[in-house]
Amino acid sequence: MDLVALQNTLDNGAFAILLVTTLLYWAGVAFPKVPGLAVLSTAGLAIGNLCIAGLLGARWLEAGYFPISNLYESLFFLAWGLTTFALFAERMGESRLVGAVTAPVVMCIAAFATLTLPVGMQVSAPLVPALKSNWLMMHVSVMMLSYAALMVGSLLAIAFLVVSRGQPIHLKGSSVGTGGFREGRLNHTAAQTDPLPGGASFSSASGGTAVLTPVAAKEAPTLSIQRLTLAETLDNLSYRVIGLGFPLLTIGIISGAVWANEAWGAPWSWDPKETWALITWLVFAAYLHARITRGWQGRRPAMLATAGLGVVWVCYLGVNLLGKGLHSYGWFF
Amino acid sequence: MALSGSVRFWKQQVLPLLANLRLAIVLLLAIAVFSIAGTVIEQGQPLAFYQANYPEDPALFGFLSWTVIRTLGLNQVYQTWWFMGLLALFGSSLIACTFTRQLPALRAARGWKYYQRPSQFEKLACSSTLKAGSLGCLQAALEQRRYRVFAADHTLYARKGLMGRIGPIVVHVSLILILLGAIWGSLTGFMAQEFVPSGETFKVEHIVQAGPWSASHLPQHWSVKVNRFWIDYTPEGKIDQFYSDLSILNQQGEPVDRQTIHVNKPLSYQGVTLYQADWSVAAVQVTLNRSPVLQLPMAPLELEGGGRIWGTWVPTQPDLSTGVSVLARDLQGTVLVYDMTGKLVSTLRRGMSMTVEGVTLTLVDVVGSTGLQIKADPGIPLIYAGFGLLMLGVLMSYVSHSQVWALLDEGVIYIGGRTNRAQITFEQEFMSTLAELVGGLEQPMTQLSV
Repeated sequence: MDLVALQNTLDNGAFAILLVTTLLYWAGVAFPKVPGLAVLSTAGLAIGNLCIAGLLGARWLEAGYFPISNLYESLFFLAWGLTTFALFAERMGESRLVGAVTAPVVMCIAAFATLTLPVGMQVSAPLVPALKSNWLMMHVSVMMLSYAALMVGSLLAIAFLVVSRGQPIHLKGSSVGTGGFREGRLNHTAAQTDPLPGGASFSSASGGTAVLTPVAAKEAPTLSIQRLTLAETLDNLSYRVIGLGFPLLTIGIISGAVWANEAWGAPWSWDPKETWALITWLVFAAYLHARITRGWQGRRPAMLATAGLGVVWVCYLGVNLLGKGLHSYGWFF
Repeated sequence: MALSGSVRFWKQQVLPLLANLRLAIVLLLAIAVFSIAGTVIEQGQPLAFYQANYPEDPALFGFLSWTVIRTLGLNQVYQTWWFMGLLALFGSSLIACTFTRQLPALRAARGWKYYQRPSQFEKLACSSTLKAGSLGCLQAALEQRRYRVFAADHTLYARKGLMGRIGPIVVHVSLILILLGAIWGSLTGFMAQEFVPSGETFKVEHIVQAGPWSASHLPQHWSVKVNRFWIDYTPEGKIDQFYSDLSILNQQGEPVDRQTIHVNKPLSYQGVTLYQADWSVAAVQVTLNRSPVLQLPMAPLELEGGGRIWGTWVPTQPDLSTGVSVLARDLQGTVLVYDMTGKLVSTLRRGMSMTVEGVTLTLVDVVGSTGLQIKADPGIPLIYAGFGLLMLGVLMSYVSHSQVWALLDEGVIYIGGRTNRAQITFEQEFMSTLAELVGGLEQPMTQLSV
């Protein structure tokens, strides 16, 4: 089988599928009542994910090493990570907004890698000697997965900021347990209903409560679950996905430091990429701490996460513009 | 009195300030911002570079001139006293936070209580009442969801994911370990560089950087012999890899260890590590007519293009009045021979001869010298321990600590719960548990209420 031709089909295919998927997600948000859109858009994202996995697999076979050594390969690995974490978050939060904000970004990455990147930078090239190490696969793949998770989390924080415009905000989830308690006074009427949002794309697992309501509502005293609103769901999703990206980033940085120490005798040398990875780590550490700080409730943590999105991109691509070194993918202008 | 006064001042004023979360956030972001400055402004360049690129007038952004950069230390951000001070403050904040916040929070999480009054459930966002059902069914449902259940008369407590409460403490402790390891390493470690010709023995002497307590780690009682240094070249003539065959010699000069190192594969002996870092041409070995092999040292020559070339002078008359210059570019075994007028006379390969002014000059070999970086960093074990704990701690910190309470009061079951992180997942789990209880009522119960 011609692996190069297969790769060409798969990268163009991934782009086309992600384009359609993006439109499906947006249509689903605009017309939540249209049947089938939810299934189709999720299926599109999953197929895009598999296409990219196939592309990377073909590369691996062709080049003989794990394919994240040039910009083209790393962009597609990032796209694969983004779709994987988006599917994970969508499953966890049962919200189509996840796909609506992540699919366009993945589509843009695929478009950039396939259409804009010069062909000379798309072909696989042999590794430089300094990178011929088993640490490469471990270090780079974990770093890229952490970028992907942090990006999905930050995009969800942006969606949260948009959805929660003009609403009072109660953060959901933190290391001390922010948001586990009932907001406002409990009203002791039998007819209390779940404050389910009329939100378009929030399909809740309401089966459980539907069974419960007749039982619980018969006589006072009754209690019912104060359900998460759409904004609160997005907030907690964003927190959880960032909470997954943060350990990955930590492990990625540590593996890089151990590699550098074993190879050159210096775990940390403040090279720009290292420094920006540390900056990313610090910004998201600040985000995690902002959620448990009394004076930083409300929108501020989400704003920090939004700023974090920019920091991740600078760490991933911006550092290339500063110059050469082992961490550079090369650039084309 | 003065002592207890200062202790009180410390406990009541300094500790809460250090443990303040806003200070922690400000510190995290401040370290981030100054780190950014260090990646935008070129680090460790000579003064002339800053004078050329950051003129006084017009200053960049109206203030960033080379004098400002020099005064604030922005040309070496990561070594300045104020950056170190920020890191020290950060470390103190970590320690203070661990003792004043995290450990009490862990104690609170471990010390749970049964709920005894229905009103206690009202404060929980996830709480509900069931008209029928049993605590036994609830216990079974929770255990199936991997909760650890504690049950007493008419009341029940269940929890899972307590390690999610321990994780952040492990993270903080490990960060403190890493900072301590870095400090310990800078106080007790050293770094040296040696250029050693193939075949020679050396002791570590050219110390580039050493901490105040590093003396005991300097190798006093052993030396290193460079048995051979060589370079492998690719077919295109590019360098593939540098190799140094090294022997460690004890005080009697007997070899105790022997290894060949290359880039990415150092040698470690008694806490000191030797890294292959650089190379140079050390000498050329020639014979003149039937002389024994003469080893003439070669010196690096300044090149305008920035390349590297080494040269020496070989006399061809007994009174040293005439001779030829011999130049080498690398260790591939070829030298260029120039006469007194600067004209290229010949190119000699290893083992070849030529005749100059009646003298037969034979090139025996070009001798390389290996550039070794020699380091001891006694902080590394501490740093690695910190790394290991940090990875464990961040992974543990993803786990959500979930708790469920239940109370049977006048025929009504009150159920409530909360979790600290995964509130979406917990809500789903809570509702599925309730649904299971309600659905289970229609089937005969196998377990009676507690």
